Amino acid sequence: MSDSTIQHHEDSRDVTFRVHRFNPQVDSKPYFDDYTIRLEKGITVLRALNYIKEHVDASLTFRAFCQAGICGSCAMRINNMSKLACTTQVWDELEKSREPDIIKVEPLRNLPLIKDLVVEMDPLVDKMKSYSNWVDSKMSEENWGKKEFLVSEAEFLKYDKATDCILCASCVSECTILRANREYVSPAVLLKSYRMNVDSRDSIHEQRLAGLVKDHGVWDCTHCYRCQESCVKHIPIMDAIHGIREDAIAERGTKDTSGARHAEAFMEDIEKKGKLVEATLPIRTNGVVWTMKNLLPMAFKMVLKRRTPPPPPLVKSTKDIEKFRAEFKEMTGHVAKDHAKKPGE
Amino acid sequence: MKPFDIVIVGGGGAGLYAAMEAMKTNPGLNIAVLSKIYPNRSHTSAAQGGANASLANKAKDDTVEMHIFDTIKGSDYLADQDAVEVLCSEAPKIIRELENMGTPWSRMEDNTIAQRPFGGAGRPRCCYCADKTGHTILQTLYEQCLRKGVIFFNEYFALDLSVDGSRSRGLIAMNIKTGRIEAFPAKTVIFATGGYAKMYWNRSSNAAGNTGDGQAIAYRAGIPLKDMEFVQFHPTGLRKSGLLVTEGARGEGGYLVNALGERFMSRYAPEKMELGPRDLVSRSLETEILEGRGFDSPAGKYLHLDLRHLGADLIKSRLPQIREMCMYFEGVDPIDEPIPVRPTAHYSMGGIDTDNFGRTVMEGVYAAGECGCVSVHGANRLGGNSLLDILVFGRIAGRAAAEEAGKFNPAPISESEVLEKEQELRSFMQPSGHYERYGSLREELGQTLGLNVGIYREASKIRKGIEDLVALKERFSHVRVFDSSDVYNTNLLQVLELRNMLDLAETVAAGALVREESRGSHTRTDFPTRDDANWHKHTTYTLEEGRPKLGYKPVVMGRYELQERTY
Repeated sequence: MSDSTIQHHEDSRDVTFRVHRFNPQVDSKPYFDDYTIRLEKGITVLRALNYIKEHVDASLTFRAFCQAGICGSCAMRINNMSKLACTTQVWDELEKSREPDIIKVEPLRNLPLIKDLVVEMDPLVDKMKSYSNWVDSKMSEENWGKKEFLVSEAEFLKYDKATDCILCASCVSECTILRANREYVSPAVLLKSYRMNVDSRDSIHEQRLAGLVKDHGVWDCTHCYRCQESCVKHIPIMDAIHGIREDAIAERGTKDTSGARHAEAFMEDIEKKGKLVEATLPIRTNGVVWTMKNLLPMAFKMVLKRRTPPPPPLVKSTKDIEKFRAEFKEMTGHVAKDHAKKPGE
Repeated sequence: MKPFDIVIVGGGGAGLYAAMEAMKTNPGLNIAVLSKIYPNRSHTSAAQGGANASLANKAKDDTVEMHIFDTIKGSDYLADQDAVEVLCSEAPKIIRELENMGTPWSRMEDNTIAQRPFGGAGRPRCCYCADKTGHTILQTLYEQCLRKGVIFFNEYFALDLSVDGSRSRGLIAMNIKTGRIEAFPAKTVIFATGGYAKMYWNRSSNAAGNTGDGQAIAYRAGIPLKDMEFVQFHPTGLRKSGLLVTEGARGEGGYLVNALGERFMSRYAPEKMELGPRDLVSRSLETEILEGRGFDSPAGKYLHLDLRHLGADLIKSRLPQIREMCMYFEGVDPIDEPIPVRPTAHYSMGGIDTDNFGRTVMEGVYAAGECGCVSVHGANRLGGNSLLDILVFGRIAGRAAAEEAGKFNPAPISESEVLEKEQELRSFMQPSGHYERYGSLREELGQTLGLNVGIYREASKIRKGIEDLVALKERFSHVRVFDSSDVYNTNLLQVLELRNMLDLAETVAAGALVREESRGSHTRTDFPTRDDANWHKHTTYTLEEGRPKLGYKPVVMGRYELQERTY
């Protein structure tokens, strides 16, 4: 049989990669280089970058290792979304491109840039350390290896998905809070913290939780769900964040952090007034002193510029609000009961 | 600079276990782990299946003895039986230890660690965490090292040992982020840099960085390597990338089909068909391709693994990862199209020659894991024994190095030695006149190894391979690094990795030529049977005048006599 009769048909086309470049030894600021190459269908973005590095520009710099979607090295922003270059098909990306036949490739955000597509990962490792992202075993090291902890499949399932995390930092790159505050714990570290906290073999649950409720911790998340959308392993990261919050309120009550107080102020307003009273929210969340120091100057400026909203009108009690209040009361009743039960169990 | 007590090169399972165990043995020691990537990226993460241990959670009658026998038989009787005994008797303890420190093992109904059957094992003794076992073990070890405060030098590339007579003074390495060459004076050095099967390049399932750096450094320093000719091929690698489609796909009922539409396994294993032993199935695919019944494509010849008849539901529920991989890496959905596959190099049985404590002939230098060769896998490794190997012997090497570290104070590494390295690296950036591109050399290396020192081997072909390697080494002396920057120069790294692979490839080819028999993964068409009278021995390789000098070592026997290996 001749080769031509069993030739596998593949379509091919010219594709331009618009790649972020920066060499700190030469460049004062980053710029983009366009590389146009002819590719066959079925090729990944990483293989295309490898091709460019080998045949067009050897100085193009990016990380890659396993090339099979398990090591997490090649996370980068492709067409404005953080993902793994090795598991991303060029043909799929072309459909998302804003300009025809051009794929934009940039480094991850929210981590310091080193060169071209390479960012510093140490800040993430440092956070893993400061939030104790490990199981601190209930068993002393001398006794390790002698017998197994018995762990139910049900418990395993609680952290099964969380242990899929490959620390690629796509969620770190897409996190909207980190864009504003790099000290924020970050979604990946919250996910790992959650995974450790639900593990019955761990002995430092309370200590870890105490760290998580501090400033830059779990209460800073604004539920934008961007981390979960960008997770290359499809891990429900927001479930972990909610899990830590529920745990924090259950274990520590609602008085010890601004986040929990903020949530409680919301509940109170909805229950009593039927709407949010924003004017007093900061005081209830962060206290009088903090509000006077941090927000009063801004409030004065707002008055001067006539940007203060008029006092809130009272909300007339409608049927729906009544119904909501009834449901709310029942719900908070259950929560309170659960909390009351907790220590005895 | 005060010398480190232990410098560990490599942050995979073996390196991290060594670091942890060394700190446990003596918390006062000054230990550093050097890795060219962040440790959590290491190739340990790619091991899906699991780790063998006769916990007897699933089969109550399983014993350490049975595990020992399966491993020796699997090795085609080339494994050292005392080393296998260490491996298998330590197995239950080390799996429990990992469990105690937080590894998320899958569980049985009675809440103990789950176990499943695996190739070549008489009992279901493979402990697993879904299909991400290596990944979760690596994460756990990395977390525990962070907890214990192990010092990491991440993104450092080890260049060479500094040798003082029969002893090592430590290591010289490059900081990838700055390009600086730095000395790491050390009382002991442990190499744990993984395997070398990436030398087969796109005919390999390995990560891009599995280039045998530790083995090459040891070899250049005069430390012998062992059994390098034994490279395991997996039957079903994806055509373009060489990435593995696990045996599970055939286990669920997948067909292997050639370009004529035949289920060709009927020719080679009429009864077992697609589920024959791994080396036999690999050889069958290779024969089909060689005899012209493969498909052709720009990425090379290949065959089909057809899952379509299994139906969308089964593929989605039982083989979701496989389906995802095919879509990501081949752009093929196995529900609608057959998967293009060919055999792929995926594990190196050979490595740095060590004793049962990970010690090499050079004082103060250790090796563990796929990087070392104790030997527990002999001529063929069993599934589920590679993770076990890195854990058990990583720990042993860590403890041994910790005990030795106190006894010796090395001479400092001289500045001139560091400068010499700097100049050597700079010379890659300024070749005079004619130059070679690294990419084509690497491509040709993979090609000649695949063709001439691949699954089927034969004297004339291997000789051709050796000629090619000599020519490639000559051309390598003109290789050029085009990126001249100091910061994160991956172009330079690629060239240094290629140099390591070229050095090791010569030993693989030399061993393949000299071993005139077929044993385990090593198949000589001109010597198709096992020859115990002449070849029941290990091969060793020492660098002499730029070429590998061959030597031999007896196999340590024990309870089990030589037998024919049949399944």
